[in-house]
Amino acid sequence: MQRHCEDFEKKGELKRLHLTKEEERIYDGEFGWANQICMKILVRLGELFNATKLIPISSAHVSGVSYKTLGDAPTDFLEAIANAGVKTSVKATLNPHGIDKEYLCKKLSSDICKKQWQILEYFNKMGFKNSLTCTPYYLEKPRHGAHLAWAESSAVVYANSVIGAWTNREGGPSALAAAIIGKTPDYGVHKTENRQPKVLVNVETSLRNETEFGALGIFLGKILEDKIPVIQGLQGASQDHLKQLGASLASTGMVNMFYRNNRKVKVNELEKISVEKEDIRRAMEELTTTATQKPDLIFIGCPHCSLREIRQIADCIGTRKVKAETELWICTSRFIKEKAWKYTEKIEQSGAHIITDTCAVVTWTDKLGIKTIMTNSAKTAHYAPTLNKAEMTLTPLKDCLETAFKG
Amino acid sequence: MQPITLKGRRIVEGQCKAEALVSKKPISFLGGVDPADGKIIEKGHELCGECVKDKVLCFPHGHGSTVGSYVLYSLAKKNLAPKAIINQTADPVVVVGAIIANIPMIDQIDIKQIETGDLVEVNACKGIVKILKRRES
Repeated sequence: MQRHCEDFEKKGELKRLHLTKEEERIYDGEFGWANQICMKILVRLGELFNATKLIPISSAHVSGVSYKTLGDAPTDFLEAIANAGVKTSVKATLNPHGIDKEYLCKKLSSDICKKQWQILEYFNKMGFKNSLTCTPYYLEKPRHGAHLAWAESSAVVYANSVIGAWTNREGGPSALAAAIIGKTPDYGVHKTENRQPKVLVNVETSLRNETEFGALGIFLGKILEDKIPVIQGLQGASQDHLKQLGASLASTGMVNMFYRNNRKVKVNELEKISVEKEDIRRAMEELTTTATQKPDLIFIGCPHCSLREIRQIADCIGTRKVKAETELWICTSRFIKEKAWKYTEKIEQSGAHIITDTCAVVTWTDKLGIKTIMTNSAKTAHYAPTLNKAEMTLTPLKDCLETAFKG
Repeated sequence: MQPITLKGRRIVEGQCKAEALVSKKPISFLGGVDPADGKIIEKGHELCGECVKDKVLCFPHGHGSTVGSYVLYSLAKKNLAPKAIINQTADPVVVVGAIIANIPMIDQIDIKQIETGDLVEVNACKGIVKILKRRES
């Protein structure tokens, strides 16, 4: 089969990507339809963004796993490609899906659960691990400087900014194609010249908790467009704080990374933005849509909790019990739950639910009758009004737990 | 009429001749198009209620979730897909969708030149769209 039409090199056409002989054979269909379609996705996306070649990746992380966000249509493609017998060729992880075995599965209809298990089966057939988390970096931290093809925007920003790995913000299908081929086109932040900061952000107020870091991300995402920032004034920020900052930055913006106090950068040459206390306050206020002190759900764990956060929650709860008719969810990966069993057992004894494999945003909270959600996550507060049709209260972990335990 | 020829950039190869369905607004395939019948269902969209089946679907660019690519595949499997896609600016969601669904696609076309109901010929191998006949008013 001819790779392109004859007049391909003419002006205004996509610039041809250089392929190795083996890549060329996959493209031509020698390894079957499914491999060919994956290669075609990578090549055409690469051409669209002026990539010159494909580069090997050390892992791929796929989003679009929850039946709630996928719906019925995508299962046709997943079924076809899984049944064609293709396999992942690098370490490949999955974003959260819509249910967990222990708790939500029993509350949601068997039809929904059946469809969700079916989707997971297709991914498993291709060799994807049931990581079912938005924080794959807790399962295995990528090397500094490693090239990845990750979807899930919060993990992309974390990988680029906190870990120092290199990944574009993939879509579900392109991450899937990269997982099968084991490569990605070398465009965007896979190139050094595209990782240069363009804006210097001075945070003029000290951020007191994870929620304020999230609010900073929401505020910056709206004004940065695609300009990578150096953010100064984040003294004392923990990795969990930076996780919140990155997650919300990606929710409202196009930027896939940020720097902190990078000494190599000539800051004088950068455009400057300063963030005042009032900007953070307003961002938080805009994300709060209800003042109720009796939310239907109190949700912690967007992005999924780290071991440190689980320990912090267990310490904060102590021996208290969740008050009657209050639903408290702590969402994390199965991996972290097992690792933190000492703390998760304690948390569960309080009446809170440790929920793995999913989260409030990608499960059907509306079908559970949940109309108001309190959370410490700015990302959730940003998405849940549309994805969960819920009214929101955004407030730090400490206040969330107080609301669950007081009275 | 003398055919009007528009030159763009080939994204996915293929040829066809069909009626145009033109949207001034972007289209989100996830949530915006019903995979069961190919009708545009996005509330307030200018093409709401129109069916994309067998049309040369012209719109500025896609938007919304990347899962939208899979919707194009599903439409194609049920014979509900457009015959071709013409964009102003190709974006990853629509490009990936057109690849997996094998729908001829061209971008960098001034879609304002095309009107709903026009008979158009698409040669995506050459990146050419020809308006053969204007809609009968």
